[in-house]
Amino acid sequence: MLYNLRHSDLRVRWLVTLLLATLGTSYLFGAWMVALYAGFSPRKVAETYGPAGEAVMAMQMPPDTTVVTERPVSMGEMGEEMHHVDKELLVQDTHVHMPMYAVIAACLSVIALGLTVPRWAGLSIITVLFAAPWLDFAGMWLTKLASPRFAIVTLAGGWAMALGYTIVAVLATYQMWWRKA
Amino acid sequence: MKTLLLGASLAALLHITPTVVLVKRQDAVNRLLPGADTFAARELHLSSADSKRLHDAVGWEPPDGMVTFYVGKHQDQVSGALLFMRVDSQHGPLELAIGFDTRGAIRGVEVTKATVEMKPWVLEALRAGLTDAYRGLTADQTPAGAAKVKPRIGAMPGYMAELIDKGVMHGGAAYRLFYGRR
Repeated sequence: MLYNLRHSDLRVRWLVTLLLATLGTSYLFGAWMVALYAGFSPRKVAETYGPAGEAVMAMQMPPDTTVVTERPVSMGEMGEEMHHVDKELLVQDTHVHMPMYAVIAACLSVIALGLTVPRWAGLSIITVLFAAPWLDFAGMWLTKLASPRFAIVTLAGGWAMALGYTIVAVLATYQMWWRKA
Repeated sequence: MKTLLLGASLAALLHITPTVVLVKRQDAVNRLLPGADTFAARELHLSSADSKRLHDAVGWEPPDGMVTFYVGKHQDQVSGALLFMRVDSQHGPLELAIGFDTRGAIRGVEVTKATVEMKPWVLEALRAGLTDAYRGLTADQTPAGAAKVKPRIGAMPGYMAELIDKGVMHGGAAYRLFYGRR
């Protein structure tokens, strides 16, 4: 063990607690944002990250001649932008979010290093923490480039992120403040 | 620990700030399609040839090959059309609403979304009267709003004005080439 969170200085435990609380809050808002813009079902994720949204999921390749369709819409529908992430935006999102995810995974991994858990468990936690963002973005790119079926990979990434955080937060809080002996 | 802090600071610096709504889409529709009481979405899934045509005309094509015009009608008579146009930059995306009247001239342009970072620059450009320069422009005319307001605004607002010019040019080309398609 590189350091022991359980017997660490009060200032370290306080820092870790505040970090976990802050990350937890940001994760809650992250989940809210996902609900607003992408959804939690494979279909919704595929619509968001698929080649061109729900309307043209059936025709991902450009047609031989331009296809024009017209349908009535309400004012409400015009205001409700169907959030669709195209390739350019996904490049931007990946560039912006991957470094931040790496920093968060590193912070949680540093906390995990101080947990009193078997070596294999520590390795597993660190793997989950870093696998989550990889799954998240791999799912988005595969949904866009290969098949909407890969939306499930993005969902798995999201749940892995929540799982990794929950394990670290619960174990760290318990070991730092309850089971000190 | 130093590396971690450095990494976090770097990530924060690289982060594109969140998007903010400057004008709600409904308000943009009310302003750009006044009097319209029914609406239709005319969606064009462009062929490769048409995407290339658009690209040859203005150096841009919709990333997913889709162009959507919202057509406003009053008592079954078309009163105008509108399209939402995204313009990407290294500071994040802008979204414009571009309204056309029945003759095909630009009725107005609204900046509906920007990022937190870009918002003050965009507002400065708008306060200088940027969008006035687009009113009445026909779809084949090149927008030059930035040139008009640049002497009165800062460098970054000037850059935002150029991006908005570009978005209006893309929207105008899409309208000119495809709006009449059936």
